[in-house]
Amino acid sequence: MIGAIALLLVCQLAGEVIHRLTGLPLPGSVIGMVLLLAWLAFVPRERLTLTQVTGWLTAHLSIMFVPAAVGLMEEGAILSRYGLGILVAVVVSTLLTLAVTALVFRAVAGREEEPEPEAEEGAS
Amino acid sequence: MSELVATPLLWLAVTLVVFEAADVLSRRSGRHPLCHPVLLATPVLIGVLLATKTPYSTYAGATQVLGFLLGPAVVGLAVPIWAQRATIRRLAKPLACALLAGAVTAIVSAVGIVWLFGAPVEIMASIAPRATTTPVGMAVAAQLGGIPALAAVIVLMSGVIGAMTATPLLNLLKIKDYRARGFAVGVSAHGFGAARAFQVDQTAGAFASLGMALNAVATATILSIVASLI
Repeated sequence: MIGAIALLLVCQLAGEVIHRLTGLPLPGSVIGMVLLLAWLAFVPRERLTLTQVTGWLTAHLSIMFVPAAVGLMEEGAILSRYGLGILVAVVVSTLLTLAVTALVFRAVAGREEEPEPEAEEGAS
Repeated sequence: MSELVATPLLWLAVTLVVFEAADVLSRRSGRHPLCHPVLLATPVLIGVLLATKTPYSTYAGATQVLGFLLGPAVVGLAVPIWAQRATIRRLAKPLACALLAGAVTAIVSAVGIVWLFGAPVEIMASIAPRATTTPVGMAVAAQLGGIPALAAVIVLMSGVIGAMTATPLLNLLKIKDYRARGFAVGVSAHGFGAARAFQVDQTAGAFASLGMALNAVATATILSIVASLI
């Protein structure tokens, strides 16, 4: 348990150090993710606890950004001024991204193989 | 009594209680995207802070530990990516093309539209990572000079909208391949999309998780390259 947590923290710490030393503009935690990926590739063994710890963290992600979301109470001016534009942008961008991603995947995969399991009409 | 208010204990306890109540409501709603616990808990907590005249800085300081956990959680996204390495290798080409197309579409369309509305740079920086998972979105927004709180809410909105519209939209486009459907909803609507996809089909859910994790890296990378060029 402690070993798994230590591995996550050390990867993040190394990510932050790389971020600061090299000026690589990726967030330290994202660099840490890539480092952990490299660790998983180079040190092959069973990792039940690590999977449990990261699974627990992912399952409880929501409450971790509540304090940040509450910070919106200080952004009232921006929201009343640009709220509509933000809403339009999020709706259009989300739908467009869904369509483009799915269509490109099918276009490229379709050239290489027949579609595997067919979905039922009406399901997602 | 007043020194108790200054410790993290009070606001951590309030946050957990409010969040747990919101989570119960969310479960009762059958996990409807509009009843996401963060969407329910945030306005209540803001109300409590306003009613007690507590400045946000006090609250933020007390609840710091929750935000701290986001870092290790992001690092941990490596685990699901690693678990799916066989799929990634098998479908490398369609996954890479769809990921790149989706990530660029999400950034350009979102930033372009708020730009048309005359929004300043900090809003464009906050909306640019809208398709990533929330902690990555907040970190990227902060890096670009955006507002992390705004980024968090924008990412949440993306998730709600994506989870609600994916099924009708993809049916309209006549896309039947669960891999394409799942991947698209993960790339466009991160964890919300993945949760929705798992309700429908296991394959769709697995591809949605993959889309979420890969797009966190893709969007962060694209935006940091863009930022270093500007």
